[in-house]
Amino acid sequence: MSKLEETSKKLSAASCKSYQNPYEYLDWPEQLDREQWFFSEELISIYGSPEYESLSESQKKQLSFFEAVNFFSLNIHGEKPLVEGLARRLYSRELKDYADYLHHFLDEENKHMIYFGGFCNRYAGKIYRDKKLQIPRDYEAGEEDFLFFAKVMIFEEIVDVYNLRMAADERLENTSRKINRIHHLDEARHLVFGRQITEHLYEKYSKEWCSETIERLREYLGNYLVATWKEYYNPDVYKDAGLNSPYELMERAWKSQDRIALRQQVSASLIKYLRERNLIGEEIQL
Amino acid sequence: MKSEAEFRSELRKWIVNKNGKIKAEDLKDDTAIIEQRIISSLQLMDLILELEKLSEEALDVEQLKPGVFKNIDSICHNFYKGESNA
Repeated sequence: MSKLEETSKKLSAASCKSYQNPYEYLDWPEQLDREQWFFSEELISIYGSPEYESLSESQKKQLSFFEAVNFFSLNIHGEKPLVEGLARRLYSRELKDYADYLHHFLDEENKHMIYFGGFCNRYAGKIYRDKKLQIPRDYEAGEEDFLFFAKVMIFEEIVDVYNLRMAADERLENTSRKINRIHHLDEARHLVFGRQITEHLYEKYSKEWCSETIERLREYLGNYLVATWKEYYNPDVYKDAGLNSPYELMERAWKSQDRIALRQQVSASLIKYLRERNLIGEEIQL
Repeated sequence: MKSEAEFRSELRKWIVNKNGKIKAEDLKDDTAIIEQRIISSLQLMDLILELEKLSEEALDVEQLKPGVFKNIDSICHNFYKGESNA
Protein backbone atom coordinates (compact mmCIF):
# COMPACT_ATOMS: atom_id res chain seq x y z
CA MET A 1 0.00 0.00 0.00
CA SER A 2 1.41 3.43 -0.94
CA LYS A 3 2.00 6.16 1.64
CA LEU A 4 -0.88 8.18 0.18
CA GLU A 5 -3.30 5.20 0.32
CA GLU A 6 -2.33 4.59 3.92
CA THR A 7 -2.84 8.26 4.81
CA SER A 8 -6.14 8.36 3.02
CA LYS A 9 -7.40 5.31 5.01
CA LYS A 10 -6.35 6.87 8.31
CA LEU A 11 -7.97 10.19 7.38
CA SER A 12 -11.21 8.40 6.38
CA ALA A 13 -11.33 6.70 9.79
CA ALA A 14 -10.72 10.06 11.53
CA SER A 15 -13.45 11.71 9.44
CA CYS A 16 -15.92 8.94 10.38
CA LYS A 17 -15.14 9.52 14.08
CA SER A 18 -15.67 13.25 13.92
CA TYR A 19 -18.72 13.13 11.63
CA GLN A 20 -20.88 16.23 12.24
CA ASN A 21 -24.50 17.10 11.60
CA PRO A 22 -24.21 20.68 10.28
CA TYR A 23 -27.77 21.44 11.37
CA GLU A 24 -27.02 20.63 15.02
CA TYR A 25 -23.53 22.04 15.53
CA LEU A 26 -24.58 25.71 15.79
CA ASP A 27 -27.50 27.34 17.63
CA TRP A 28 -27.75 30.31 15.23
CA PRO A 29 -28.98 33.09 17.55
CA GLU A 30 -31.77 35.23 16.10
CA GLN A 31 -29.50 38.31 16.15
CA LEU A 32 -25.88 38.99 16.93
CA ASP A 33 -24.67 41.68 19.28
CA ARG A 34 -22.62 43.85 16.90
CA GLU A 35 -20.71 45.34 19.83
CA GLN A 36 -18.54 42.23 19.89
CA TRP A 37 -15.47 41.14 17.93
CA PHE A 38 -16.23 38.81 15.02
CA PHE A 39 -12.71 38.68 13.59
CA SER A 40 -9.44 38.81 15.52
CA GLU A 41 -8.46 42.46 15.67
CA GLU A 42 -4.83 41.87 14.64
CA LEU A 43 -5.98 40.01 11.49
CA ILE A 44 -8.25 42.83 10.27
CA SER A 45 -6.97 43.85 6.83
CA ILE A 46 -6.40 47.52 7.68
CA TYR A 47 -5.21 46.92 11.26
CA GLY A 48 -2.42 49.31 12.22
CA SER A 49 -3.27 51.88 9.51
CA PRO A 50 -4.04 55.53 10.40
CA GLU A 51 -7.61 54.93 9.17
CA TYR A 52 -7.99 52.00 11.58
CA GLU A 53 -6.52 53.92 14.50
CA SER A 54 -8.97 56.78 13.92
CA LEU A 55 -11.99 54.49 14.47
CA SER A 56 -13.81 54.19 17.78
CA GLU A 57 -13.91 50.80 19.55
CA SER A 58 -17.49 50.33 18.36
CA GLN A 59 -16.55 51.13 14.71
CA LYS A 60 -13.64 48.69 14.89
CA LYS A 61 -16.05 45.97 16.03
CA GLN A 62 -18.45 46.84 13.20
CA LEU A 63 -15.56 46.52 10.77
CA SER A 64 -14.61 43.16 12.34
CA PHE A 65 -18.13 41.91 11.52
CA PHE A 66 -17.73 42.74 7.82
CA GLU A 67 -14.21 41.29 7.78
CA ALA A 68 -15.70 38.04 9.14
CA VAL A 69 -18.37 38.10 6.41
CA ASN A 70 -15.60 38.59 3.83
CA PHE A 71 -13.53 35.74 5.28
CA PHE A 72 -16.54 33.39 5.22
CA SER A 73 -17.46 34.60 1.70
CA LEU A 74 -13.98 33.98 0.30
CA ASN A 75 -14.13 30.53 1.84
CA ILE A 76 -17.38 29.84 -0.01
CA HIS A 77 -15.80 31.06 -3.26
CA GLY A 78 -12.80 28.82 -2.65
CA GLU A 79 -14.86 25.78 -1.68
CA LYS A 80 -17.38 25.92 -4.54
CA PRO A 81 -14.80 25.03 -7.23
CA LEU A 82 -13.22 22.61 -4.75
CA VAL A 83 -16.49 20.67 -4.36
CA GLU A 84 -16.97 20.77 -8.14
CA GLY A 85 -13.41 19.52 -8.75
CA LEU A 86 -13.63 16.77 -6.12
CA ALA A 87 -16.94 15.53 -7.51
CA ARG A 88 -15.43 15.42 -11.02
CA ARG A 89 -12.48 13.36 -9.75
CA LEU A 90 -14.46 10.85 -7.65
CA TYR A 91 -13.73 7.34 -8.98
CA SER A 92 -11.53 8.75 -11.74
CA ARG A 93 -8.76 6.33 -12.79
CA GLU A 94 -6.14 8.59 -11.25
CA LEU A 95 -7.77 8.89 -7.83
CA LYS A 96 -9.88 5.74 -7.45
CA ASP A 97 -7.70 4.43 -4.62
CA TYR A 98 -8.59 7.46 -2.53
CA ALA A 99 -12.31 7.57 -3.36
CA ASP A 100 -13.39 6.81 0.24
CA TYR A 101 -11.54 9.82 1.54
CA LEU A 102 -12.66 12.04 -1.36
CA HIS A 103 -16.25 11.32 -0.23
CA HIS A 104 -15.39 12.70 3.23
CA PHE A 105 -13.50 15.64 1.76
CA LEU A 106 -16.49 16.52 -0.42
CA ASP A 107 -18.97 16.06 2.45
CA GLU A 108 -16.94 18.20 4.83
CA GLU A 109 -16.45 21.02 2.31
CA ASN A 110 -20.19 21.09 1.64
CA LYS A 111 -20.85 21.37 5.39
CA HIS A 112 -18.37 24.22 5.72
CA MET A 113 -20.30 26.17 3.12
CA ILE A 114 -23.48 25.57 5.15
CA TYR A 115 -21.78 27.23 8.14
CA PHE A 116 -20.23 30.07 6.14
CA GLY A 117 -23.34 30.73 4.03
CA GLY A 118 -25.57 30.42 7.13
CA PHE A 119 -23.63 33.14 8.91
CA CYS A 120 -23.38 35.51 5.93
CA ASN A 121 -27.01 35.22 4.84
CA ARG A 122 -28.51 35.33 8.34
CA TYR A 123 -26.52 38.22 9.73
CA ALA A 124 -25.27 40.24 6.73
CA GLY A 125 -28.02 39.32 4.24
CA LYS A 126 -25.41 38.61 1.57
CA ILE A 127 -22.22 36.92 0.49
CA TYR A 128 -19.53 39.20 -0.89
CA ARG A 129 -18.86 38.93 -4.63
CA ASP A 130 -16.27 36.59 -6.05
CA LYS A 131 -13.94 38.65 -8.27
CA LYS A 132 -11.98 35.76 -9.77
CA LEU A 133 -12.40 34.76 -13.41
CA GLN A 134 -11.13 31.56 -14.99
CA ILE A 135 -9.79 31.49 -18.52
CA PRO A 136 -10.01 28.01 -20.02
CA ARG A 137 -6.78 26.58 -21.45
CA ASP A 138 -5.20 23.27 -22.46
CA TYR A 139 -3.14 21.18 -20.03
CA GLU A 140 -0.43 18.56 -20.30
CA ALA A 141 -1.09 15.07 -18.86
CA GLY A 142 -1.62 15.29 -15.09
CA GLU A 143 -1.14 19.06 -15.05
CA GLU A 144 -4.77 19.96 -14.36
CA ASP A 145 -5.07 17.48 -11.43
CA PHE A 146 -1.77 18.70 -9.99
CA LEU A 147 -2.80 22.36 -10.26
CA PHE A 148 -6.21 21.63 -8.76
CA PHE A 149 -4.76 20.08 -5.59
CA ALA A 150 -1.85 22.55 -5.35
CA LYS A 151 -4.31 25.48 -5.46
CA VAL A 152 -6.57 23.81 -2.88
CA MET A 153 -3.54 23.35 -0.63
CA ILE A 154 -2.41 26.99 -0.93
CA PHE A 155 -5.91 28.32 -0.30
CA GLU A 156 -6.59 26.03 2.68
CA GLU A 157 -3.22 26.48 4.38
CA ILE A 158 -3.70 30.26 4.63
CA VAL A 159 -7.31 29.92 5.77
CA ASP A 160 -6.30 27.41 8.41
CA VAL A 161 -3.84 29.77 10.13
CA TYR A 162 -6.66 32.31 10.43
CA ASN A 163 -9.07 29.62 11.67
CA LEU A 164 -6.67 28.42 14.30
CA ARG A 165 -5.97 31.91 15.61
CA MET A 166 -9.64 32.85 15.71
CA ALA A 167 -10.75 29.56 17.26
CA ALA A 168 -8.39 30.36 20.14
CA ASP A 169 -9.40 34.03 20.43
CA GLU A 170 -11.62 34.39 23.52
CA ARG A 171 -12.65 37.93 22.51
CA LEU A 172 -14.61 36.53 19.53
CA GLU A 173 -18.40 36.25 19.38
CA ASN A 174 -19.35 32.61 19.94
CA THR A 175 -20.90 31.71 16.55
CA SER A 176 -17.99 33.15 14.62
CA ARG A 177 -15.50 31.43 16.91
CA LYS A 178 -17.27 28.05 16.60
CA ILE A 179 -17.29 28.24 12.79
CA ASN A 180 -13.55 28.87 12.83
CA ARG A 181 -13.05 25.95 15.23
CA ILE A 182 -15.04 23.35 13.24
CA HIS A 183 -13.42 24.47 10.02
CA HIS A 184 -9.96 24.05 11.49
CA LEU A 185 -10.72 20.54 12.81
CA ASP A 186 -11.76 19.28 9.36
CA GLU A 187 -9.07 21.24 7.52
CA ALA A 188 -6.32 19.67 9.59
CA ARG A 189 -7.10 16.40 7.77
CA HIS A 190 -7.52 18.08 4.39
CA LEU A 191 -4.10 19.72 4.74
CA VAL A 192 -2.36 16.40 5.35
CA PHE A 193 -4.05 14.92 2.27
CA GLY A 194 -3.43 18.11 0.26
CA ARG A 195 0.32 18.13 0.78
CA GLN A 196 0.69 14.41 0.06
CA ILE A 197 -1.43 14.31 -3.07
CA THR A 198 0.20 17.45 -4.49
CA GLU A 199 3.60 15.86 -4.01
CA HIS A 200 2.42 12.50 -5.39
CA LEU A 201 1.01 14.04 -8.58
CA TYR A 202 4.07 16.22 -9.12
CA GLU A 203 6.46 13.29 -8.75
CA LYS A 204 4.35 11.16 -11.06
CA TYR A 205 3.88 13.63 -13.91
CA SER A 206 6.52 16.35 -13.80
CA LYS A 207 9.15 14.12 -15.44
CA GLU A 208 7.02 14.18 -18.59
CA TRP A 209 6.52 17.96 -18.60
CA CYS A 210 8.77 20.22 -20.62
CA SER A 211 10.78 22.94 -18.86
CA GLU A 212 8.41 25.69 -20.13
CA THR A 213 5.45 23.92 -18.48
CA ILE A 214 7.30 23.61 -15.17
CA GLU A 215 8.37 27.25 -15.28
CA ARG A 216 4.79 28.30 -16.13
CA LEU A 217 3.45 26.25 -13.19
CA ARG A 218 5.93 27.79 -10.76
CA GLU A 219 5.04 31.27 -11.93
CA TYR A 220 1.32 30.48 -11.78
CA LEU A 221 1.45 29.07 -8.24
CA GLY A 222 3.42 32.07 -6.99
CA ASN A 223 0.84 34.41 -8.56
CA TYR A 224 -1.98 32.28 -7.17
CA LEU A 225 -0.59 32.67 -3.66
CA VAL A 226 -0.55 36.47 -4.08
CA ALA A 227 -4.06 36.51 -5.65
CA THR A 228 -5.39 34.38 -2.78
CA TRP A 229 -4.12 36.92 -0.26
CA LYS A 230 -5.62 39.85 -2.21
CA GLU A 231 -9.11 38.56 -1.50
CA TYR A 232 -8.57 39.38 2.17
CA TYR A 233 -8.47 43.09 1.21
CA ASN A 234 -11.98 43.86 -0.01
CA PRO A 235 -13.16 47.42 -0.78
CA ASP A 236 -16.78 46.24 -0.39
CA VAL A 237 -15.99 45.57 3.30
CA TYR A 238 -14.65 49.09 3.77
CA LYS A 239 -17.72 50.56 2.04
CA ASP A 240 -20.06 48.60 4.35
CA ALA A 241 -18.10 49.71 7.39
CA GLY A 242 -18.59 53.34 6.29
CA LEU A 243 -14.93 54.01 5.45
CA ASN A 244 -13.95 56.62 2.83
CA SER A 245 -12.12 55.94 -0.46
CA PRO A 246 -12.35 52.12 -0.18
CA TYR A 247 -10.20 51.34 -3.27
CA GLU A 248 -7.37 53.62 -2.18
CA LEU A 249 -7.62 52.20 1.35
CA MET A 250 -7.34 48.66 -0.06
CA GLU A 251 -4.17 49.63 -1.97
CA ARG A 252 -2.58 51.30 1.04
CA ALA A 253 -3.45 48.39 3.36
CA TRP A 254 -2.02 45.88 0.86
CA LYS A 255 1.28 47.80 0.69
CA SER A 256 1.64 48.48 4.42
CA GLN A 257 4.76 46.95 5.98
CA ASP A 258 2.72 45.64 8.89
CA ARG A 259 0.36 43.64 6.63
CA ILE A 260 3.22 42.41 4.41
CA ALA A 261 4.85 41.06 7.57
CA LEU A 262 1.58 39.37 8.58
CA ARG A 263 1.21 37.71 5.16
CA GLN A 264 4.81 36.50 5.27
CA GLN A 265 4.37 35.13 8.77
CA VAL A 266 1.06 33.35 8.00
CA SER A 267 2.42 31.87 4.75
CA ALA A 268 5.88 30.96 6.08
CA SER A 269 5.33 27.21 6.48
CA LEU A 270 3.51 26.96 3.13
CA ILE A 271 6.22 28.92 1.27
CA LYS A 272 8.93 26.77 2.84
CA TYR A 273 7.07 23.62 1.66
CA LEU A 274 6.61 24.99 -1.88
CA ARG A 275 10.20 26.24 -2.19
CA GLU A 276 11.73 23.01 -0.91
CA ARG A 277 9.92 21.20 -3.73
CA ASN A 278 10.79 23.89 -6.26
CA LEU A 279 7.09 24.61 -6.84
CA ILE A 280 7.45 28.40 -6.62
CA GLY A 281 10.24 30.85 -7.32
CA GLU A 282 12.18 33.05 -4.93
CA GLU A 283 10.74 36.30 -6.24
CA ILE A 284 7.22 36.31 -4.73
CA GLN A 285 6.11 39.75 -3.57
CA LEU A 286 3.63 39.08 -0.79
CA MET B 1 -16.69 61.43 -14.68
CA LYS B 2 -13.47 60.81 -16.64
CA SER B 3 -13.34 61.40 -20.40
CA GLU B 4 -12.81 58.30 -22.54
CA ALA B 5 -9.28 59.48 -23.36
CA GLU B 6 -8.45 59.73 -19.64
CA PHE B 7 -10.03 56.33 -19.01
CA ARG B 8 -7.90 54.76 -21.78
CA SER B 9 -4.76 56.49 -20.63
CA GLU B 10 -5.15 55.39 -16.99
CA LEU B 11 -6.01 51.87 -18.08
CA ARG B 12 -2.93 51.72 -20.34
CA LYS B 13 -0.73 53.01 -17.52
CA TRP B 14 -2.16 50.39 -15.15
CA ILE B 15 -1.54 47.51 -17.60
CA VAL B 16 2.03 48.65 -18.33
CA ASN B 17 2.74 48.98 -14.62
CA LYS B 18 1.17 45.59 -13.78
CA ASN B 19 3.09 43.79 -16.52
CA GLY B 20 6.36 45.44 -15.64
CA LYS B 21 8.04 44.53 -18.95
CA ILE B 22 5.99 45.94 -21.83
CA LYS B 23 6.61 49.54 -22.96
CA ALA B 24 3.60 51.90 -23.19
CA GLU B 25 4.27 52.49 -26.93
CA ASP B 26 4.11 48.74 -27.61
CA LEU B 27 0.69 48.40 -25.99
CA LYS B 28 -1.81 49.29 -28.72
CA ASP B 29 -5.56 49.60 -28.25
CA ASP B 30 -6.03 46.27 -30.03
CA THR B 31 -3.12 44.37 -28.42
CA ALA B 32 -4.51 41.06 -27.06
CA ILE B 33 -3.58 41.45 -23.40
CA ILE B 34 -4.72 38.01 -22.16
CA GLU B 35 -3.71 35.99 -25.23
CA GLN B 36 -0.23 37.53 -25.21
CA ARG B 37 0.01 36.99 -21.44
CA ILE B 38 0.49 40.70 -20.76
CA ILE B 39 -2.13 40.28 -18.03
CA SER B 40 -2.51 36.83 -16.44
CA SER B 41 -5.84 35.22 -15.54
CA LEU B 42 -4.94 35.75 -11.87
CA GLN B 43 -4.43 39.49 -12.45
CA LEU B 44 -7.98 39.82 -13.80
CA MET B 45 -9.19 40.29 -10.23
CA ASP B 46 -6.90 43.32 -9.90
CA LEU B 47 -8.09 44.60 -13.28
CA ILE B 48 -11.73 44.29 -12.17
CA LEU B 49 -10.97 46.34 -9.05
CA GLU B 50 -9.11 48.94 -11.13
CA LEU B 51 -12.07 49.22 -13.54
CA GLU B 52 -14.44 49.67 -10.59
CA LYS B 53 -12.20 52.46 -9.35
CA LEU B 54 -12.02 54.13 -12.78
CA SER B 55 -15.72 53.78 -13.56
CA GLU B 56 -16.83 54.46 -9.95
CA GLU B 57 -19.21 51.52 -10.20
CA ALA B 58 -19.24 47.96 -8.79
CA LEU B 59 -19.15 45.33 -11.55
CA ASP B 60 -21.44 42.33 -11.70
CA VAL B 61 -18.59 39.83 -11.95
CA GLU B 62 -20.87 36.78 -12.33
CA GLN B 63 -22.10 38.19 -15.66
CA LEU B 64 -18.63 38.93 -17.07
CA LYS B 65 -17.14 36.86 -19.86
CA PRO B 66 -13.33 36.71 -20.20
CA GLY B 67 -13.72 38.05 -23.80
CA VAL B 68 -14.55 41.53 -22.49
CA PHE B 69 -10.92 41.84 -21.35
CA LYS B 70 -9.47 41.00 -24.77
CA ASN B 71 -7.81 44.41 -25.36
CA ILE B 72 -8.06 48.09 -24.37
CA ASP B 73 -10.73 48.70 -27.03
CA SER B 74 -13.00 45.92 -25.74
CA ILE B 75 -12.49 47.00 -22.12
CA CYS B 76 -13.45 50.59 -22.95
CA HIS B 77 -16.41 49.42 -24.97
CA ASN B 78 -17.70 47.29 -22.10
CA PHE B 79 -16.82 49.37 -19.08
CA TYR B 80 -16.55 53.04 -20.01
CA LYS B 81 -19.90 54.60 -19.13
CA GLY B 82 -19.27 58.25 -20.00
CA GLU B 83 -19.56 60.09 -23.31
CA SER B 84 -17.46 58.68 -26.12
CA ASN B 85 -14.85 61.02 -27.67
CA ALA B 86 -15.51 59.61 -31.09
